[in-house]
Parts: sequence; C-alpha cells; structure tokens
Amino acid sequence: MTLAIFLVVFAVITLFVILRVSVSRSLRLRSANPQRIEPIDVEAFRNLVNPAENEYLHRQLPSAEFRRVQRERLRAAAAYVRVAGRNATVLVAIGQAALTAGDEKTAEAARQLVDSALLLRRNTTFALLRINLAIAWPALGSSAAPVLSGYERLNGSAMLLGRLQNPAVPVRISSAS
Amino acid sequence: MLQAHSFLWNYLWVAPNLLVFFLGILLWKRGFNRILPSFVAFAILTALGDLAAFAADIIPSVSAQNFWLVFWAELLLETLLKFLVIGEILSHVFDPYPSIARLGKMLVSGFGAVLVLLAGVIAGFARGDSVVHIVATAHLLEQTVFIVESGLIIFLFLFAAHFRLSWDRISFGILLGLGISSCEHLATWAMVANSSPSEHVRRLFDFVNMATYHVAVLVWFYYLLVPGKAPKKSTIRLPETNLAVWNREVERLLHQ
Repeated sequence: MTLAIFLVVFAVITLFVILRVSVSRSLRLRSANPQRIEPIDVEAFRNLVNPAENEYLHRQLPSAEFRRVQRERLRAAAAYVRVAGRNATVLVAIGQAALTAGDEKTAEAARQLVDSALLLRRNTTFALLRINLAIAWPALGSSAAPVLSGYERLNGSAMLLGRLQNPAVPVRISSAS
Repeated sequence: MLQAHSFLWNYLWVAPNLLVFFLGILLWKRGFNRILPSFVAFAILTALGDLAAFAADIIPSVSAQNFWLVFWAELLLETLLKFLVIGEILSHVFDPYPSIARLGKMLVSGFGAVLVLLAGVIAGFARGDSVVHIVATAHLLEQTVFIVESGLIIFLFLFAAHFRLSWDRISFGILLGLGISSCEHLATWAMVANSSPSEHVRRLFDFVNMATYHVAVLVWFYYLLVPGKAPKKSTIRLPETNLAVWNREVERLLHQ
C-alpha cells in the first residue's frame, strides 16, 4: 500500500507540473521583456573567477583564512552566474519572439542569439553546480570560465540582433566599466 | 451505469479508439506521416489493438486466457509505439537548438535508464493483485510502463521549461495528451497492482482510465487539427539604453 501511495503522489505531482507548464506556456511572452535584463559587471565577475587570483590568495593567506575568503568569492560569483542565467532566459524569449520577424537577417540573428543564450543557460547551470561544490570544498575551484566566454559570445549576438531590429536602439547585458 | 459492459463502458472503450483511429487516418492523408511517423502509427495501430481487445472481451467464444493474450499483445505494441512517439517529440523539441540538443538527448537516455531500473525494482516489491499469473504480470507491466512514461514526460517538460524552449503546437499537444493520460493511468495501476482493491473499485478505476484516455484523444484532436493563432510579427522593441557604452564594453571584451 505504501508503494501505491508513493506512486499516486508521484503521479499527482507530475500531472500538476505538466498542467502548470501548459499554463505558463501561454504566458511565455511576458518574459520576452528586455527591461528584465540586469546588466552585469563583467570585469568584477572575471576577477572573481580568475584562477591566477585564486592561486595568489592561496599562497598569501593561511589555509583557514583562504577557505573563508574563497567561499565569500564563490558566493559572489554564484550571484553573478545566477543573474547571467536569468538574462540568458530573457534573451531566449526575446530571440524566439524575434524569430517571427519578417526579414531573414533578423531571423538569422535571432537564431544565433537563441543558440548562444541556451549555451550560456546550460553553462550557468553547470557552473552553479560546480560553484556550490566548490563552496563545500574550496580547493576544487569554480570552473566558471565557460560562463564568461559564453557571456561574451552572447553579448555579440544580442548586439547584432539589436542592431538589425532597431539600429538606433541597443540592448545591453553588461554594465559599463 | 458504472457496470462492466454498460452503455457508458462500451462507449468509453470504443469511442476514443475510433476517434484516434480516424485521427491517425486523417493525419496520414494530410501527409503528417512524414513529420510524425511514430504518432501516426501509434494512433492507427493502438486503436486497432484496443478494438481487438474489446472484441475479444465481448465475443463469448473467446476464452479468458485468449482475452489476456490479446491484451498482452496490445500492451506490448502500445508500449513500443508510445516510447517511439516520446523519442519523436524529443527530436522535434531539441533538434532546432544545436547547443543543447546533445545534452538533452544524453540526459533523457540516462534518466530513462534510471527510470527503467527504478520501475523494475518497484515491480519487484509489488504484491501482485491476482493469483492468475498472466493477469498480475499484465497489471505490473502497465505500472512499469507508466512509471517510465510519466517520468520521461515530466523530464521533457521540466528540461524545456528550464531553458524556456518554445514548443511547437503539435509536439506540445501530443505530449500533453500523453502526459495527462500516463499520470492518471500510473495512479490507478499503482493502486490496482499494489493494494488489491475490490472488484467494484477496480471497475471504477477502469471507467476513470477510459475517460482520461478519451480526454487525451480530444486534446490531440484540438492540438493537431484546430489551427493555432498565426504568430504575430515580433513587436518587442529593444530597450533604449546606451549604445555607446554597450559597444565600448563589447569591443573592450573582444579585444582582450
């Protein structure tokens, strides 16, 4: 009977999730709002995930102090990665909406943007996992470099799409330095 | 009314299968067999299989043993086709996005293997609801199939939701129908296979199963035959932010 209850609960939760996804599918366009993009200070992020910086701190600080500092740095990096991931999902929505644009150039730019944004979303997911592991064991390192390179590629795609859609109006996902 | 072989019973067994059979034929005629070969095969062949099981149930000369053999054959065919349909939808959802297609397919394969293992273990712990081996194992197979099926469907929905992937109307409709049907069937078959309910409760479960399948068939009709709204041209305007700063930042990054 316990097994039956477990399976019934699983089935009910699954059905609930499916219906919820179905409802949110019709509200998808709400997320395609460029205003929801939060600019990120790429330089600060780059500094936080710089292996040379980690190595320097490791050499200069006592082990206990290094672990404490490293955990703080990793938490800050995780916050940046989360924002990058959220920005990527907004850009996926914007790109998918722009796929319906009439001209071929804009549609192609939108396809590139969606692909780059998905790659970034994937990388942020993995990077967050690695960062959380590294918070538990600071010696592992954060391995967030793919996120940075993905973000740079995404910048290029978003800018290209922005220029094609409206040459006078840009979209910005990195903050000014 | 809620008795075996009542009008409602016969309707709920026959009508959804006739509807899904005609849906399959209609889709075939409209050339959907090139886009959705597995779903078209599923619609036509499972309908025929289920109708054969219905015929075996009502024809007095068919023995109980032979009825269960027909039921088993239909169950195996339906299982195979359903997993082919899920694979087909998987390709439709992921293939347009090369950056996550490989990851998605790899995760689905891994998760599917875990689900099969888990469903096997759960079946091993199940008590079985009948002393007749062919009946008890058929119910256990139903439970096993629906665990794997609903697990794969929820994984697909969550993966697509995580990446905010847009679904095409047809893939979404097919998976929604399969999802609703598999979740409800999993719940009822789990109760049947593990808690030995009374004959009356089991009959009620049969009605619920058939009614849910009917709903799933109507969902497929709606999503596959009723045309969706024509996509509007993108009206999203990019925000009025500082182009100069944005360009400077990108160029600085590119030149590093």
